[in-house]
Order: sequence, then C-alpha cells, then structure tokens
Amino acid sequence: MKPVRKKRLQTVLLILVTSALGSFLIIRALDSNLDFFYTPSEIFLEEIPENKRIKIGGMVLESSVIREKTKISFIVTDYQGSINVEFDGIVPDLFKEGSGVVVLGYLKDKTIIAEEVLAKHDENYMPPSIDIEK
Amino acid sequence: MFDIEFNSLAEALLMQSQNGQNHGIYVWSVVLIVILCISISFVFYKYKIKEISKKIK
Amino acid sequence: MFQVNRAYPYIFYLSLITYLLSIFWGLFLTPEDFVQGNSYRIIYLHVPASFISQSLYLAMAIASAVYLIWKVKLSVYLVRSIAPIGAVTTFIALISGSIWGIPTWGTWWVWDARIVSTLILFIMYLGLISLHDSFNNNEKADKFLSILVLVGSVNIPIIKMSVEWWSTLHQPASITLSEKPAIDLVMLYPLFGSIIGFTGLIACLVILSSKLQIIKREKNKSWVKDYV
Repeated sequence: MKPVRKKRLQTVLLILVTSALGSFLIIRALDSNLDFFYTPSEIFLEEIPENKRIKIGGMVLESSVIREKTKISFIVTDYQGSINVEFDGIVPDLFKEGSGVVVLGYLKDKTIIAEEVLAKHDENYMPPSIDIEK
Repeated sequence: MFDIEFNSLAEALLMQSQNGQNHGIYVWSVVLIVILCISISFVFYKYKIKEISKKIK
Repeated sequence: MFQVNRAYPYIFYLSLITYLLSIFWGLFLTPEDFVQGNSYRIIYLHVPASFISQSLYLAMAIASAVYLIWKVKLSVYLVRSIAPIGAVTTFIALISGSIWGIPTWGTWWVWDARIVSTLILFIMYLGLISLHDSFNNNEKADKFLSILVLVGSVNIPIIKMSVEWWSTLHQPASITLSEKPAIDLVMLYPLFGSIIGFTGLIACLVILSSKLQIIKREKNKSWVKDYV
C-alpha cells in the first residue's frame, strides 16, 4: 500500500475508533436511562417518589388477574420479585396471564396505579396447531 | 402447507384472528404503504434519468 | 454501466416476482400466529425493510471508507445514491412497525432503544441527503459526507444490539446466525423469500439512483453524451 493511502486508512480507522469510543462513553453515562422499563425486583432497590412516572416490565402472574367492571388488577413478576398493579381501562388484546406486559404508572403503597398497559410479546412465531400439540 | 387461509376475498380483507379481532386494516395498510413507497421511488428515478438525458442531448 | 444495463431487467423481474410471490405466500398461505393472530403477517413487509435499511447504511460506510482511502469517485457516487433509498426503507420500517404495534403492543409509538435508534438512522439518512445538497463545492462535500457516514456507522451495531443490551418493548431477533430460528418453518420460508425479493428490488433502485448520479456528475464528459 502506498504511504499516502496507508495514512488515509489510518485516518479512517481513527474516525471509526473515536466515534465508537465517544458513543460508548455516552451510552455508559446514560446507562439505565436507556432501559425502557424496570423489572419488579429492581423497583424496591431504589427509592422511587410517588409522583414519578415509571414503567415496569415483566410477566403477568398466572391466575392473578382480577376483573371488576372496567377495573383490572394483576401481579407483574420477573420470578424474583413481584408487584401489584391496578388499572382502569382497556388492556391490549395480547394481554394474557403468563405473557409479557409493560405497565406505565405511579408507585403508591407498593402498588402500581397504571395509566397505560402495553403487551410485550416474544420472538417466537408459530401456528396455533403446534401450540396445542405441545 | 399450501392451504389458503381465507375462504373468500371478504375474509382475506378482514383477516379476523382467533381472538375475534380484525387485523386486515393493519396488514393491508402496510401493504399499501410499501407498494406506494417502492413504486413512487422507481417512477421518480426513471423520470429523473429521462429528464437529465434530454437536457444533455 | 453497459453490463449493468443488460442485467437490470433480469434482476428487476426476478426479484419482483420473488417478492410478490413471497408476500402472497405469507399473507394467504401461512397459518396465523398463535399469539398475534393475523397481525403477525406484517412481518413479511417489516423485516425486509428493516434489514435493508441497516444493510444499506453498512454499504454506504464501506463505500465511504473506499473513497477516503483510494479516492475512487464512483464509490462516493454510490454513497450519494444510497442515502435517499436508505431513507425510504427506514421510513417503511418505522411506519410498518408502528402499525404493527397498535394491535400487538397496544400503542403505535414508545421511546424504547430499538425504535429510537432506528429513528436516529432515519434522521441520519435525511441529514446526509440535505447536507450534500447544501454544499457548492462537490469535492469538499464528498469528503465531508464520507467522514460523517463513517462516524454515524456506530449506530448500526447499536440498533442490532439494542434489544439485547437494554430492556425494550420490541422483542429480540427471531432469526440469528448462531441459533435455531424462533419462527416456525412454514412461516420462515416466505419470510426468506420476501427478504431476498426486497433486496433485489432495492438493488434495482440503487442501480437507477447511481445511474442518475453518474450522469449528473459526469455530464460534461463525452462518453456520457454518447451514452444518453
């Protein structure tokens, strides 16, 4: 390789390394702020003020869903910790016991008063018939 | 493997799922957007090439 | 350019047929998903667009490096021609993801790491397009553009890994190189078909776009005058 090209190659590599390093530092600094939600076990590790809007993600615990008119309450768990959720509104179609959920709301007396409930699904896709066979 | 999922055109447009929800509106609007975006891009570039070729001549 | 012209119709019709057949297969001949129902069929349009939007940026980054090191003019023309097509595919990925989100997640937009990093990719494409147009001096613009493309390329691994590094509403990848696909085979074949077909169609767009770019930039050369 000609010296002038070698020098340009070094410049290209330098640009790549610098920008990678720069974004690495930014990402490290933001760290948990980039997480979309807390898990139930994380939530009691931190002091969270009542007026702070938080997001909790986990699984809806089996047979924990109680419906009362438009109100619904359930337990979100990550199988290490769990937390009660109360919600008044319409849940997404994919909301089911034993499947993923993300709840947006406020923490009050160890219960989440939810403003929004989102369904989180996983990366598995299959026809219904296979599900029944298993 | 090659069974047609829907019995009629109306069913295919509605795409009712097992939970009773009609998902056709979502699927078909995405199909429409993709077709529009791609065909507009093709027409745009073909036109631009024609235009600049004329100018040079 | 002349060889490409000869191959172009073959690439175009082959990939168009592949794409349309795969979409037809995916929309009508596959069973619905056991969780998502029929809304999962958006996968056949969303995944190819997302895949291409990231691949195009990688191609741009490689072409930029080639330009900066070897000063090959054609490679910077390629950077210029890819940017608007990248913007279109990223737009498709974002919109189709949003529409998919309504029946599945219960929302069309959330600020999670995957979605935000894809939005950044879209803004970067738009920025690169407008930046080059705002320069008077072509050569300076070429150099500046290539450097910016290289700097921005860190976003690609971030998009890829965002679903692993942080908690996101978006699910992790269903198809990975290291593991068995998490998607049933009857649904996987048409997905592969649609990815291949879409890639071919986008390649055709890149060919057209580069053709336009070459004619524009070399319009004073005699061979261009002979060609058109």
